[in-house]
Amino acid sequence: MTASPFEIEIPRGRVIEVQRDDTRVRRGGGLLRGMAVVWKHWKESFKLNRSYSQIHGTFTIEYPEERPRIPEAYRNMPILLYDDETGHELCTSCFQCERICPPQVIHMTQAKDPATGKPVPAVAEFIIEYDACMSCGFCAEVCPFDAIKMDHEFELSTDDHTQLTVHKEQLLRPISYYAKIAPTMWAEVRESALKKLQGNIRRRPDVIGLAPQLTEKIAARRAELAAQAAQAAAAAPVAPAAAPAPAEGRKLTPEEKAAKLAAIRAAKAAQAGESATPAEAAPATPSPTPAGEAAPPADKAAKLAAIRAANAAKKAAAGEAPATPPAAPDASAAETTPSAAPPSDKAARLAAIRAANAAKKAAAGEAPATPPATPAGGTAADAPADAPPAAPPSDKAARLAAIRAANAAKKQQSGDGS
Amino acid sequence: MLQTQELQVNIGPQHPSTHGVFRMLVTVDGETVVDLKPVFGYLHRNHEQIAEANSYLQNMPYTDRLDYFNSMANNHAYAMAVERLAGIEVPERAEYIRVLMVELTRILNHASAVGFMINDMGAWQTPLAFGMREREKILDLFEMASGARLMCNYFRFGGVVRDLPPEFIPNLRELLRALPAYIDELERLLRDNEILLQRAIGIGILPPEVALSYGVSGPVLRGSGIPYDVRKAEPYSVYDRFDFDVPVGKVGDVYDRFLVRIEEMRQSKRIIEQVLEQLPDAKGGHINPKARQNVRPPVGDAYARIESPKGELGFYLVSDGSTRPYRYKVRAPSFINLTPLADMCRGYKVADIVVILGSIDIVMGEVDR
Amino acid sequence: MPEMTPAELRARLAEALPAALVEAEPLAITPPPAHGPQPGLFNPPDPVVRPDQLVAAALFVRDTLGYAYLSDIAVVDYLHAGCFELVYRFYHPSGGPGIVLRVRVPRDEPVVPSLTPHWPAANFHEREAFDLFGIEFAGHPYLRRIYMWDEFEGFPMRKDFPRQGDKYLGGESEG
Repeated sequence: MTASPFEIEIPRGRVIEVQRDDTRVRRGGGLLRGMAVVWKHWKESFKLNRSYSQIHGTFTIEYPEERPRIPEAYRNMPILLYDDETGHELCTSCFQCERICPPQVIHMTQAKDPATGKPVPAVAEFIIEYDACMSCGFCAEVCPFDAIKMDHEFELSTDDHTQLTVHKEQLLRPISYYAKIAPTMWAEVRESALKKLQGNIRRRPDVIGLAPQLTEKIAARRAELAAQAAQAAAAAPVAPAAAPAPAEGRKLTPEEKAAKLAAIRAAKAAQAGESATPAEAAPATPSPTPAGEAAPPADKAAKLAAIRAANAAKKAAAGEAPATPPAAPDASAAETTPSAAPPSDKAARLAAIRAANAAKKAAAGEAPATPPATPAGGTAADAPADAPPAAPPSDKAARLAAIRAANAAKKQQSGDGS
Repeated sequence: MLQTQELQVNIGPQHPSTHGVFRMLVTVDGETVVDLKPVFGYLHRNHEQIAEANSYLQNMPYTDRLDYFNSMANNHAYAMAVERLAGIEVPERAEYIRVLMVELTRILNHASAVGFMINDMGAWQTPLAFGMREREKILDLFEMASGARLMCNYFRFGGVVRDLPPEFIPNLRELLRALPAYIDELERLLRDNEILLQRAIGIGILPPEVALSYGVSGPVLRGSGIPYDVRKAEPYSVYDRFDFDVPVGKVGDVYDRFLVRIEEMRQSKRIIEQVLEQLPDAKGGHINPKARQNVRPPVGDAYARIESPKGELGFYLVSDGSTRPYRYKVRAPSFINLTPLADMCRGYKVADIVVILGSIDIVMGEVDR
Repeated sequence: MPEMTPAELRARLAEALPAALVEAEPLAITPPPAHGPQPGLFNPPDPVVRPDQLVAAALFVRDTLGYAYLSDIAVVDYLHAGCFELVYRFYHPSGGPGIVLRVRVPRDEPVVPSLTPHWPAANFHEREAFDLFGIEFAGHPYLRRIYMWDEFEGFPMRKDFPRQGDKYLGGESEG
């Protein structure tokens, strides 16, 4: 052992030996003193105490009735922000948060311009696995666009584990929400965040980067526009949807933008349909797409709709192989479903693709019989055209659209049979 | 002469007074402990391997999970190690904030450590509730500053993640007014309690030479009478600017360790008061603006240690010049303080084991890593 | 507060235990990249001790120099250089910075004499090193796994331990 390890000098302080008196008389005096402390606390516990400087009194909170005051810096789970006014998400999918995330629970895909295929500073899908998130707050810290922030919501318990894989739709909150829970922290970054957002909006074509949170507003406007489009389609079936889109340029409201996208998709679908089966597809196209578009990503509903559409298509194909006309609504129904499928849900998409394939097969089976179908195509178009535009934007919509499409197919079938 | 036979008894891993999942394989002769083998690893997650797969910054929240009572202290040691490795300067204000947070951590750790020790003695919950009460207020302060109560993740290389919020200092001052009364009360409640004296005096004696040769640290070492405190022995951060005393025990038994912890809470309060006096204004900044999130230290190694509430907490890092540590080693105080457990328990009764274990103050998250 | 630089320690060691010191080569931690900046070599200033002289050197440090507090034993697996390095860290109870002794053993035969019989502080450190790196400490009284279960095969902190999957987890094993 060393010479004297116990004579140690301490700079700026002393070594103090604790006061202990082992020879203390043990007659219960210490116990009574302790009891006095407990008694004092019990007596004072009927008083409420919220001050940090008091050690007596009750300072617990009756939790579910009384909410704790949460400090601004509090962090629980990450959320994504979107702008209240323009509806644009702040996220540009720069992958900084995905890279820094210690447990690697953030996944995202970058949005692409549908016209050019080039990446756009917007996020297509954003997933956070809340169940594995360790709430470290790094994602919010590194985000150069202040798009990801930490939420104050802490009552996340659920009996459904899959719910804890959270998609973009559930992650998005308006900026006003964050400004409410963390006013000073938002005020610090507000200016630069909004400036960057303006810059990014300029680089985002069409509706890319819009929060799906505005579905109701968008859907209402969309339904209106789609109705116009349907009328226009009846008049001039080949060049339908582009016409009703009211305004061009950057000053579009989010609803209009969405409607425009729907119209573009419809037009595309129309072109595709034309090239495949020129006779039937043209009239069938413009209207069903909005219906599908309006369907929110309630994946079950979409899947269901797709399955039903597929079934209807099969039935139609099997029922009247020689007779073409009914195939038209089938095709349209099939076309409805792919757009109804949320981009995130593989299963739904798969179902939709299958439905579309079934419809195509049906159409291909009747390809030789196409010419006589041409006049009937016009009538077939009517059925889907008036059905979907009015469809409400809930998950019911997709189901409804599918049912209507199927009904229309049946009607055609029975009409043909008679 | 009555023939006796030695018997092996398992205490744990699931036992209310083993502070988690900790097993002691005890050889007893009647009620007397002949030998004891600590068995652990039930919470082992190979923290060091995880850390070597992560970048330097990504490890910060993982250090919170080592000793989950003292995440601030763990953050501090790790941040210091990386700063030494990469040569990052820390602004003064950040150093003061760090000291402030770690000293608050020490108070809350000792308060709950005392509570848990008394809990192990059989005073079910009441003293623990007393220990937890002020801890809650300190956790409120942590929440204000860092955003989380336990897993603070507050320190960054070159400072702390954000400055103290405006309501922090007033609340802290309020708390400081309550602390002396609180510590006195905790002492009055327990110190002379005859049952505690009976259970604590002369139990688990660790003589100073033995303590030193076992390499224990923190209140266990000081309870044995060796005034070794890293804050004094090798002052880091700004600890050389504060006046505070180092309490030591006389005998090295459970009671001494208890008293040392109570006294350390008072000293921590003294440090916090001095921090508030000397705290530079926000002009200096709370983080070194040059410190980057993606540190890429040059090839080399660094070791940093702090006086964590449980003892000497050290981080040894080896860098190969990439953004991930090539080697990341934690010198965990709870783990090393368990080394003399067998010696401390030998010759005492079975009921004393849990008390001795409680007086060492371990956290399985740090023991098992 | 006593202070001792690595050079002083080396001089004292060379004086007292001339056989103990090894001239250590600077290590390349990772294979040098084909292009880009070279990371440089790892060359700590601390004395490197021959494994068989470790106990004598440690006891010299404790009993003569007074560094009676063994704080840490860290093992580093230098896979590229083909050796394990053990970093022994000692402190003086009066305070001051610590001193470091390093020991290098080849990876294929990692045997180091145990310090535990002479210095019980080394006990858990050595068991941890055995468990995670497979360093064999000759003379340790109870060299058993400390974190992993006894039946576990392999040493998980070695750099060549498969990161993805093993016989316990299943899955592909790589490297």
